[in-house]
Order: sequence, then C-alpha cells, then structure tokens
Amino acid sequence: MDRRTFIRTVSGGTAGIALAGCLTQDDDENGNGNGDENGNGNGEDDENGNGNDNGNETDNGDEEEQEDEPDLEGTLRVATYTSMVDDEEAAGTWLKDAFEEEYPDATIDWTVPEEGTSHYIQQANQGVDIDADVFLGLNVDDLVLIDDNTDESLFRSVDRDRLEHVDRIRDDPSVEFDDPHDRVLPYDTGYISLVYDENEVDDPETFDALTDEEYEGTLITQNAQQSDPGQAFLLWTIDAYGEDGYLDYWEELLDNDVRIIDDWSSAYSAYENEERPMVVSYSTDQVYTNRFDGDMSRSQIGFLEEQGYANPEGMAIFEDSEQVDLANAFLDFVLSNEAQAEIAVRNVQFPAVADEYVDLDEDYAEYAHEPPEAVSLTYDELSGNLDEWVDDWGQLVASR
Amino acid sequence: MTTGPLGSGSPRGRGRGYDWLERHALQLTALLTAAVLGVMLYLPVGVVFAEALFLDGRLSLAHFREVLTDPFYFGVLASVFADPLAVGSHYASLVDWILAGFPSFRMGLFGFTAYQAALSTVASLALGLPAAYILANYEFRGRRTIRSLTILPFVLPGIMVAVGFYAMFGQAGTLNTILGVVGLGPFRFIERNPLAIVIVAHAFYNAPLIARITVAAWESVDVRALETARSLGASPRRAFADVVVPQLLPAITTGALLTFIFTFMTFPIVLALGGLQLATVEVWVYARIQRLDFAEAATLAILETIVSLALTYAYLRYESAQAGMSRAATPPPRERLFPDLRTVLEPRRLAIVGYGVVALVVFVGPMASMVIGSVTDGSGFTLRHYEFLVQRQAEGATYQTLPWPAIRNSLLFGVATLFVAMPMGVVISVLTTRSGRGRDQSGRWATVIDTLAMLPLAVSGIVFGIGLLRGLVFGIPLVGGWRLQVTGVVAIVAAHAVAAYPFVTRNVSPLLADLDPSLVESARSLGASRYRALLDVELPLVASGIVAGAAFAFAISIGEFSSTVILASGGDTYTMPVAVERYLGRRNGPAIAMGTVLLVITGLSFVVVDRVGGRFERD
Repeated sequence: MDRRTFIRTVSGGTAGIALAGCLTQDDDENGNGNGDENGNGNGEDDENGNGNDNGNETDNGDEEEQEDEPDLEGTLRVATYTSMVDDEEAAGTWLKDAFEEEYPDATIDWTVPEEGTSHYIQQANQGVDIDADVFLGLNVDDLVLIDDNTDESLFRSVDRDRLEHVDRIRDDPSVEFDDPHDRVLPYDTGYISLVYDENEVDDPETFDALTDEEYEGTLITQNAQQSDPGQAFLLWTIDAYGEDGYLDYWEELLDNDVRIIDDWSSAYSAYENEERPMVVSYSTDQVYTNRFDGDMSRSQIGFLEEQGYANPEGMAIFEDSEQVDLANAFLDFVLSNEAQAEIAVRNVQFPAVADEYVDLDEDYAEYAHEPPEAVSLTYDELSGNLDEWVDDWGQLVASR
Repeated sequence: MTTGPLGSGSPRGRGRGYDWLERHALQLTALLTAAVLGVMLYLPVGVVFAEALFLDGRLSLAHFREVLTDPFYFGVLASVFADPLAVGSHYASLVDWILAGFPSFRMGLFGFTAYQAALSTVASLALGLPAAYILANYEFRGRRTIRSLTILPFVLPGIMVAVGFYAMFGQAGTLNTILGVVGLGPFRFIERNPLAIVIVAHAFYNAPLIARITVAAWESVDVRALETARSLGASPRRAFADVVVPQLLPAITTGALLTFIFTFMTFPIVLALGGLQLATVEVWVYARIQRLDFAEAATLAILETIVSLALTYAYLRYESAQAGMSRAATPPPRERLFPDLRTVLEPRRLAIVGYGVVALVVFVGPMASMVIGSVTDGSGFTLRHYEFLVQRQAEGATYQTLPWPAIRNSLLFGVATLFVAMPMGVVISVLTTRSGRGRDQSGRWATVIDTLAMLPLAVSGIVFGIGLLRGLVFGIPLVGGWRLQVTGVVAIVAAHAVAAYPFVTRNVSPLLADLDPSLVESARSLGASRYRALLDVELPLVASGIVAGAAFAFAISIGEFSSTVILASGGDTYTMPVAVERYLGRRNGPAIAMGTVLLVITGLSFVVVDRVGGRFERD
C-alpha cells in the first residue's frame, strides 16, 4: 500500500548502497497491493504516529475520521528549486528548522527535481505516483505549462477556510496568480528590471529608447526559452507592445544589436566583465552588490516605463497528497510574519503579505528597489499563448 | 569466431572451468556489454525516440515531414525535401545561385549547426595537431604532465568555461589587463565576432582531444620503416609523409570526427558565449523539451543522430580499409626541446615558442582566469567563496549539496567507470576491427555494428537525460502493474560507462586495425586462445591507446552532467559538476570556487591515471 515510501527509501539511496534496480508494483484500484514488496523494502514507515501499517482500511478512511482534528504528524515532502536549499543563506534551511520546531511531530523532506514542475507533469501523464506533497516555487507560467499538458489538475484548490494567514496576502498585481481554480498561494515576489553601469550609460527609461542609436550594442538579456528573467523580459515587451507588436519591437532591438545569452549566470558574467553596460536582471541587485562589496555605480536599477515585471513565486498542494493537513499548516506557516521576513531577506525578494504583517529591516529597503508600477501577464492571458509567443520569438532571433 | 585446439592453450594446473572462462571471456564480455547498452542506452533513448514515430497513436512520419520541410530548420533544402522529385526545378535554382555569384543563402538551423561544427573542427585541428607534434617529438620538463593534463578542458562544465572565457577575453578580462600593461587595447574580443569566440571555445574543448588521440598514435608509430625509407635515400620530409603520416591519419581523422560530432551537438557553450542568434539544433531540442513537446524534440534529436552516425559510418569504412602494417610500437626518439640557448632561435623552435604562447592564451588563460575569479569579489582578493565551501561542508544539512561527497562520488564513479568502460570498449574494438578488415559483406556488417556502438556520442545528451528520467527513474511498466526502476550508484556508473566506452574503442581501434594480423594468427596457431592472444600480444602493442582511452573514460565520468543530475536527484550521489550547478546563485563566486576544486582534483587525478597507466606503456 505504501509504495511511495518504498520507492523513496530506494531512490533516496543512503551513501555507499549501490542499487542496480528494483521492481515495484503500482497500486491497483482495490488497494490490495499485497504489501509484500513493503516487506523487503526496509519498511521505513514515515515516523507516522498512526501506525496502522497493515491496515485493510483505505487511506481515505483515515482522512475522513480526522477531519475535525488536523493530523499534523509525519513527513511532508516539499518539492522546490535548487537555490531554496543550496544557496548561501538558503531560505529552505530556516523554513525546515522553524517549521519542525513549531510542529515537533512533523518532518520536512526537501526534494529538488531537476526538471521542476515538468517532473510532475510527466509523472502524472505516465501514471506514476507523484512523489511530493507540496510544490514551493511555482510561477504563473508553470501553471500554464501544467494545464496545457495534463488532463487532470496536478494541484488541489486552496482551502482558504483552513488557512489563518491567507487574508494577509497583498491585494496587488505583483503577487497575483489569477488562477481560475485558485490552486496557488504566493509567498514572495520579485521584479525584473534593467541593471546598468551609470558610468557608461544613462537610464534608458523607455522601451523605445532601447532601440535608439545611443543604446546600440549596450543591452544583454537572456534566452526566454530557458531563463526566467529572459522570459519575463519578453513578456514585459508583450505587455508593452501587444502580441501583434512585440515581434516588430524585437526586430528593432535586434537591429540595435541586443545580445541574448542563455541564462542569467552567463549573462551577468558578461556584464561583470564589462562586455556591455546593461543587463536584464532583478531589481534587488544592489543587495548582492552591497553584500559582495561591489561597485554601486555599476548596480543601478532601471525601471523601463517606470515599471518592473513581477514574477511572483507561489506554493500549492498536490492533488494526491495524503498529508493535506500538514501541507495546509506549512502553507500557513510560510505566510506567517517571521517566515515572510526571513524568506524575503534570504531569497532577496519581496514579501507576499501586506506591510503590516511583516517586519523587514529598514536597510533591506535601502538596496531592494520596488518599481513604481508592477506589471505582469495573467494566467488567462498566458494560457494557450505562451508557447507560441516564445517560439515565434525564438525563431525570429535564431533566423538572423 | 573459432576457438583454438581444445585444451592446448591452457597453462598447466588450471581447471576446466577456467579454460572455459578464458575461451569464452570475449563472448561473455560482449554479452555483458550488450546487456548494459540495452538497459542504459537503447531503452531510455528508445522511450523518447518513439515519440517522434507516432502521431495520435499510429505509426507516422508526419513529424519528420514537418521538420524536414520547415525552412527554419533546413533553409533552402526544405523545398528540396518538400518535393524531392522535382529535380529539374532544384537544378535550375542551383544554376541560378551559381550564376548569381554564390550569394549567401538561408542555411536553416541544421545548416548553421553543421557550418559552425565544421569551422570548429578546423580550428581544433589547427590548435591540436601542433600540440601533438611537440608532445610526441620533443623531450622537456613536464612533458608527461602536460600530456596528462591535455584532457582537463574536457571535464569542465559549460557554464564554467563560459565564465572563464568572459573572465579571460572580456573587455575587463585578464588578456586585456595584460595587454593594457604594454599600452594596448582594450579589445572587444567577444563582441567583435561572437561566432569566432564560440569556435575558439569549441577548440578549447576539442583541440586537446585531438592532441591526446594523435599523441597516442604517434607513440605507437613503427618508425623502423622510416629508417628504411631514409636509408633508401628519401628526404626526411618525404619519409615522414610516406611513413609516419599514414600511421597517424586514422587517429587524426578520429579526432576530427569526434570534434565534429561534439560541436554539432553543442549546447550550453554556444548560447552562453554566442547568444541565441547562434542557436544550434540542440538548443531547439532543449526548448522543445522544456515545453514538453517531446515529439518534435525527438524528431530533431533523431535527425541529429542520423547525421552523426552517417559521418561515423563513412569514417569507419575508411578506417577499416587501412591495411595493417605495424608490428611493434617503436615510436620516434624524442629530441630535447631546447638543448642549448642557440637553438632557441631556430625557425622551428621559434614556431614552437609561438605556438606555446597561443596555447597559453587559449587553454591556460580561461582556466587561470576562472581560478582568479574564485579568489576575487567586488573589493579584490577574498577567500569567502572557499569559506562558503568549508562552511557548507562543516555545517550543511544532509539534504544540501556538500563539497566532500561531491568530490568523493566523482572520484569513485570515475574509477569505476574506467574499469567498466575499458573492457566494454576493448571488446567492441576487437570484435569489429578483426572481422571488419577487408571490404567483403561481413566487413560491412562489422562496420554497421561499430557505427551503432558509437551511438552514445551521437545521441543528444538532453534526450538521453529525459529518457533516463522517464524510463529508468520513473520505471518501465511491466505486466501486472510492476515497474522496473534503475537508479542509484550502479545506474550512474553504468550510464557513465555507456558514455565513455566509445572513447576507449576509438582510441584502441585505429591502433588495433593497424597491427599486422599475422601476429595474432601465429599466436593462435601456437594454441593461444583468442583472449590470450589479445591479452599477451595485441593489447601491449596498443597500450598507449588504452591508456589514452582510460584517461578519456575517467574524464567523461568526471565531466558528465546530464544523466548524473537525473539519476542523482533526491539522493547523495551528486558529483562535482552537479555541485557546481547547484551552487550557482545570484553571484557566481561559490560555483566558481567549486569549479576550481573540480579543476584541481581532476588535474591531479589525470596525472595519477597517466602515471599508473604509463607503467603499462613501453615508453
């Protein structure tokens, strides 16, 4: 019955244990998996206080019984991206420690799938059990990708009644997911902007200026096919010029010798070595410049049209999760005052909750700039269009 | 394959079981090789490739038609593919084009990819062959170490090479700083011609490969024929062209072929240095996979594979046509590079010095700049990036990526890969070169098998990774709801061995094919089993190729990223390149520090591998 535990035990592979292969059996509809593979599978049982391992009852039984009193024990498998756990001051380490302190019977297991949400889309489409309870780090375009490629919903709708802190979320397009099924809660947000060297160029201030001679050969951006800031910058131009006009604008940008480098790291590396005086990056750049003793004059933030493109990060609970109570507790915890401040500072982003529900250091605001106006395309606008927009753009660039 | 006279080859005192094992050792190794390839290569790749062949559940070539007739992919050729029988009109447009004075035409993604790969191959040959010449013909301090280190660039993650190139050739880079001291520059090396810098970066990766393979062949050259030619009055130049060059050509062509295939499938480096304007087919494979359009990704990947395998086949036909004439490895004696001060000014030695400067700039420069980058930040010298590594190691949580396990895993997997890939590669060499000799029907089949054995090099790394995820990590559905899953350490080593054994084969095969077949025949007629003859007669003669192959196998394992990161997901089986990628944050420092650790550890290991391997070479 608990095939998932078994597989995790196996693929989690402790050091030195060489495992060539293993056979597992899918749960069939009657739930009589015979449990014999569990027998050999080290039978690790999740520190699950409920015991009940040989239970002939189905798992849903448990859930119904305990609806009144939430089940806050056991392991919560949280899928996320690398820097959440591996950054210098990873928000993930703080989150795990603080959450486990608050819920002593709970454990957070981080899992970092290389392919991000695509990992779970493929699992769903191939009939493999989803091996996570919560996804931390969704963007709007992830949601679009999921819905365009799966028949069933991967995530469940937010149970707002059970979340104490959910009303604290800012009423602001910069944290808005506009999901028709209300599956995602934002936990932080960031803005794409220009970072420029004021010794070399002036703030261009408008999109049009970027196509002027003055800015010829000055801008580095990223490949929208594979980079988040790159895609955000592309969507920002679509917001500015419309889906009928953005390719014309990019023709002009290309004529003006824009460079489109694959990812943020290489692009920023080119910028650091003074290849060009402007790069598409995040509006929090000065926080890092300050931290690494960099030169502030080379870390100027340019908000085109007095805007920044908002890239809210969200979290959602997988439809098949059997730890819904614990998952809800986790979501609520992430929105709490202390967690919002920690996540914002460690991720170098902005909180998702309104100002009165989070205490940020004064000097954080000194280096982390927010644009006068946040823009972003909504779920509805992206849905069914995103692939084509990015592809048309890619073909335009690569054909030259 | 026939076996020797029963029992006569067995040394006294060994049992029948051992005899049996010895007589069948080659077949058993071949079977095991086939099994590993089946599970770790054909199955995962097949899972993804199948997507290209089906439309709405029915077998269909519609995906291929769509790609082949799309001018974006095939440029002017698209119209030829769209209507292949309209020979007349295609001929007319060709004539028009010639009459118009060969104006530039639309190459399409495939055309451009092949174009930059061809340029990269030429550049790699131009930079690699002089290195091979110097390393094989001159003696100087550190020669062996440099020979060992030649494949170092090979293991560097693409992102590190990009960072190294920006730090070396950027406007504020090391080279401009040095030139600035003598009042030159700054030059816009990268901006001026992004395609050129991409080609130099490809040469950075592949020229050492060509050099390494060629040096191995040079050290196996039989120069006694050279002496004969000289004694018959041939000029040194003539004797070199007639005797040495033919013995080197298979190795040089091998290096060129591998370079072309690698740069044809190039991915991160093109976009990191050149930008999307220089996109290659593999970039589109990746973009399609990101959007979960597996059918088009697989179609593109299959076409890439077809191009690579067709070239490989053509090359192998050429290789198998080379007559064996070498009876023993008697390499040319090595001259002292600088016997005294006066010789430094000889034209040939001046040219060597000139080449040395170029090599310093192209090969050492980016790596040195990377090392410098690991100890600097905004305010100058710092050790904070290394402090991060130490601190992570000391205080990191179990779910975080720690430096030491990454180092340990890399080395363990590297050594394990070496021991798995060597027998795999050698057995394929033996099976294909021996029966492949000659132009008869069986020879053709052997070439086909040999070509298919090169599949790991000819398959898109991105597709291989996705295939491993969907096939082996998620599990292959079997009857009764069972799934076969293959993950963990053994899976990683097997995947590395699959990627690495072609290098053993390609280093060993040309040398093996060049051996005089009568050597084995006489051993066999004296009763030695095929295995014994291989072990005692042939392998010692091609030891330099085996050592080179082993070094490559180790290097491939250390540098491998795309399959490791999939198979290591969720466990602590990550390696150094995976750690580099995971340490990339909003500043590159920590990742560069880890990249430097990778560089140093790998460099030291290469020296050790070559020193240990060198004991088996007849130097």
